[in-house]
Amino acid sequence: MKTLQIILNECRSIFLLGKVFFGLLFILSLSSCDKDEDPRPALEDGKSTVIYDLAGDIEASMAEGVEGKENRPFYTFLFRFRDQKQVWIKTKQDSLQWLKTNDWDLAFTGPYNSEVYVNNANDEFNPGYEGPASHSAVLLLKQSYQSVIAAPSDEEFDQSEVTKIGWASSESSYGWFRYSLSTHIMQALPDRTYAIRLPDGKYAKLQLINAYKGNPPAVTNMNWPAPYYTFRYYVQQDGSKNL
Amino acid sequence: MNQAIFFIKLTVYITGLSSFSLLAYAQELYQIKGRVLDKSGNAIVQATIILLPDRHTTLTDKEGRFSFDKLYEGTYQLRVSSVGYYPIEQDLPLKKSSSVELTMRPSEASITEVSVQERRRSVDNLIKAENSAMPVKIITRREIELMGSRRLDEVMKEQTGIAVVNDIAGGSRAVGVQIQGFSSNYVMVLIDGQPMLGRNSGNFDLSRISVTNIERIEIIKGASSCLYGSDALGGAINIITRHGAVAPQAHASFLYGTLNTIDATLEAETPFANQRGSVVFSGNYYRTDGFNTDSRYLTEESTTFPPYTNYSFQGRTRYRITKNGTVGFTGRYAARNSKMINGWSDDITIEDTQTDQDVNLSASYDHTFHSGLRSMTRYYFTRFHTAMQAQWLRQGILADAEEFGQQVHRVEQQFAYSPIRTVKFTGGLGGSIEIMDNQDLDEERSLNTAFAFLQTEWKPIDGILTTLGLRYDYTNVYDGRLSPSFGLQYHISPTLLAKAGVGAGFKAPDYKMRYQVFYNPAANYLVVGSDRIADVIQAMENSGELSFKNSYMLNLVSGNLQAEKSLSNNVGLVWNPNSKWQSEVSAFYHRINNQINTIIVGGTTSFSTVYSYRNLPKAVNKGFEVSTTYQATVNLQLSAGYQYLIAKDLSVLDSIRAGGWPYNQTINNPVTGESREPTVADYWGIEDRSRHMLNLKALYEYRPWEINFNLRANIRGKYPFQETTSNQFIDEYDEFVPDHVLLNLTIEKNLWNRKLTLRLIADNLLNFTHRNMLGQPGRIILGGLSYRWMKE
Repeated sequence: MKTLQIILNECRSIFLLGKVFFGLLFILSLSSCDKDEDPRPALEDGKSTVIYDLAGDIEASMAEGVEGKENRPFYTFLFRFRDQKQVWIKTKQDSLQWLKTNDWDLAFTGPYNSEVYVNNANDEFNPGYEGPASHSAVLLLKQSYQSVIAAPSDEEFDQSEVTKIGWASSESSYGWFRYSLSTHIMQALPDRTYAIRLPDGKYAKLQLINAYKGNPPAVTNMNWPAPYYTFRYYVQQDGSKNL
Repeated sequence: MNQAIFFIKLTVYITGLSSFSLLAYAQELYQIKGRVLDKSGNAIVQATIILLPDRHTTLTDKEGRFSFDKLYEGTYQLRVSSVGYYPIEQDLPLKKSSSVELTMRPSEASITEVSVQERRRSVDNLIKAENSAMPVKIITRREIELMGSRRLDEVMKEQTGIAVVNDIAGGSRAVGVQIQGFSSNYVMVLIDGQPMLGRNSGNFDLSRISVTNIERIEIIKGASSCLYGSDALGGAINIITRHGAVAPQAHASFLYGTLNTIDATLEAETPFANQRGSVVFSGNYYRTDGFNTDSRYLTEESTTFPPYTNYSFQGRTRYRITKNGTVGFTGRYAARNSKMINGWSDDITIEDTQTDQDVNLSASYDHTFHSGLRSMTRYYFTRFHTAMQAQWLRQGILADAEEFGQQVHRVEQQFAYSPIRTVKFTGGLGGSIEIMDNQDLDEERSLNTAFAFLQTEWKPIDGILTTLGLRYDYTNVYDGRLSPSFGLQYHISPTLLAKAGVGAGFKAPDYKMRYQVFYNPAANYLVVGSDRIADVIQAMENSGELSFKNSYMLNLVSGNLQAEKSLSNNVGLVWNPNSKWQSEVSAFYHRINNQINTIIVGGTTSFSTVYSYRNLPKAVNKGFEVSTTYQATVNLQLSAGYQYLIAKDLSVLDSIRAGGWPYNQTINNPVTGESREPTVADYWGIEDRSRHMLNLKALYEYRPWEINFNLRANIRGKYPFQETTSNQFIDEYDEFVPDHVLLNLTIEKNLWNRKLTLRLIADNLLNFTHRNMLGQPGRIILGGLSYRWMKE
């Protein structure tokens, strides 16, 4: 009898331990089931074109950081909204063939192809300088992409001073990203949408979203491949300002 | 303070001690006999007696008697435990066959995890952690065994208030330990009281250290520069290794499981020269395949927790050269090789290799004079070397390569003296020389330090203990600095103890912050030490290389870099209302001034930016910690620990108030599209710090089968991982690591009088992983055994 009681006593603590254990398991499993979900809203809105991971000059970026080796500058590439065509400007021939034409809309230039130009003939640093795109313009709207539903007036476009869209190093900058000095990561600024009057007179809106491969919510490795551009745009084909 | 000693009525009779004999060194074998009794003098049957350091184990018979035979002369400890009684630990210098009578105090507790209140003296260090006046957490060898941990980082991350975090900016291998909100570069890591080298961007990776030969770990939470000088600004972790047994013995253990993890250890120890000397040798081999926490973005072969192979060897020997003098030598060598793949697609794969080597050598001479003055003379040499290379595999392009080595020579003379019973002094002085391998960049880069310290313990009346510490450090690259500490303990009642402490910490700017001119080709920038920046900028301006300069900042930083400083305050209560409960609550407030950070001072035509170093005004870590242990039944012990922490950089608050770029950007809710102007309330705190941390533990022993179950839940509230909203401070829409729970279970079964132990270890049972927790693998199951041979 005494032995039985001792055994029962022993069991009581096992039961208690069991209860604590399963109680914990239950509470904890509730909290650990929704991991790795991306809280960011989807980029697709039904009408815009979303470009994922458009590769820039990866070779040049990989070679960055090699001590004692002369880094070549990043090759510029052009992008055309109509058919998502990407054109590389690597040779003199390429430049002659493409730059002074209406056959492109955006140029990705500079380090990590991070400095973006809209094809324009009037700005001397624009790859389309002295080309045919004399009427194009771009404006920075500090609003979210979805909330931009109409292009600004032509007067506003005519007065625009926006040329290069790159590193936003100060408040007055029209740039699309910030470079973190502590983590050395490029990050797109929220609520920056570019309204564009294209060389052909149509109106468009553009959002540059990420320069890192896969559009990750956070960059967890200093060698995360870049530049791989994720961006979205919408071109109003009927010539109106409805975006 | 040893409270237990007040309550344990303990009588020891050692017969025949009076006949002092010079023949003590003759190789004779002795016997210890004893009886274990309760308060009323009745025998306690089946009590477990462990003889340390040899770990002979026996049980008392029907009359409460026990005995150990064939023992050499030496200093032993008896550890006695029995169901329903408080465990006892008793020192026993053995020079002749002895008999002992032990009285045990009744308790609801019975668990073999002996929480020994007595701080055992270190054999080669006279500095006591408690003299820092900061809370000290001791982790014993037995606790580590019961956790089934293999590496030091695994032990640390299960402690309340301590986290092991990745530092993304420092590279994929930068992992460090954080204590009460202090990051790894403010936490000193010591082995047997001597500082260890080898940091990656300030982070000390504790997984380099195997726990197999550790006797105990002391963790000081708060500024402890008064003990250890510069670098111990936010805390210290002192690892105390095993120093030898009295009887020849050997120990082997092997574990294998998930991720092809292998942990194999061999240890051997023996006395020599008629017990005048002892020697311990241990070797450990560890390997793991690594783990990928980011399968969404990375290829299958990739890992974020690196695969590695680690070897370590340690030897310690001690020899009593005279009756009052003992020499000791310690040698440790550890090497780690690691090859990690990070692939985003087949053609974008980077291979990253690293090899580390670590040598620690020390010698000590311990002498006790007739006056009672104890002297410890110590010499220490350590060297760390690391080589790292990263390559884009398909392209054959080198992405990064780095190699550095450093070494330190250190000499120290310590004294401990107690002129009267109520006063104890510990003091010392010393110096060190730290030399970097790479001398070609600049003039010789060595750091010379001299220091002196004095710590006083004073018991003015019964129930009150005060400690006062002072330390002065002088270095060749930075001026001298005085670090005081003051602590007070007061027994309000026999069950209630109040504690309070204040301590100062500092971290002197290092060589590179003052003198180095460093160009980073990877990110194309130049960093110039504060004492050189004015000259460098002037030279660039003269040669027309400078495209812009920030004159205001330049004047601010030039030649004006201050040491980082901290002031730690803590106040707490220890309450043991009855034999079932032990509780402690403490509040802490750490203020850090002059944190060093980089700042842009100019730009040039050939590379983008020129940085230098400046001091940031202020950061604060504040919060409280509660811990409690409850003996639910005789075989079940429950414990809980909780930390609430607010860690904020006060300069961020100032910047938000000032409304400058980029702090003035609106806070945007990415889901609803709503935005608002930022206020100071939007600042969440510093990265990697959880507000809430909760540790729960259940320890159950099933005595008839000698099985221990140890179940732990480590619960962490969400913490910021990265600033992604580009306003340069953490707000609620930045990237976080979510709330999570890591559940660990260890089962241990003892066989053959504790000679054989079987272990089953299950870490992270719920298999929680997150892409922002790069160093946390999923569920790991390991099984293995250990065996102890003892010369009979």
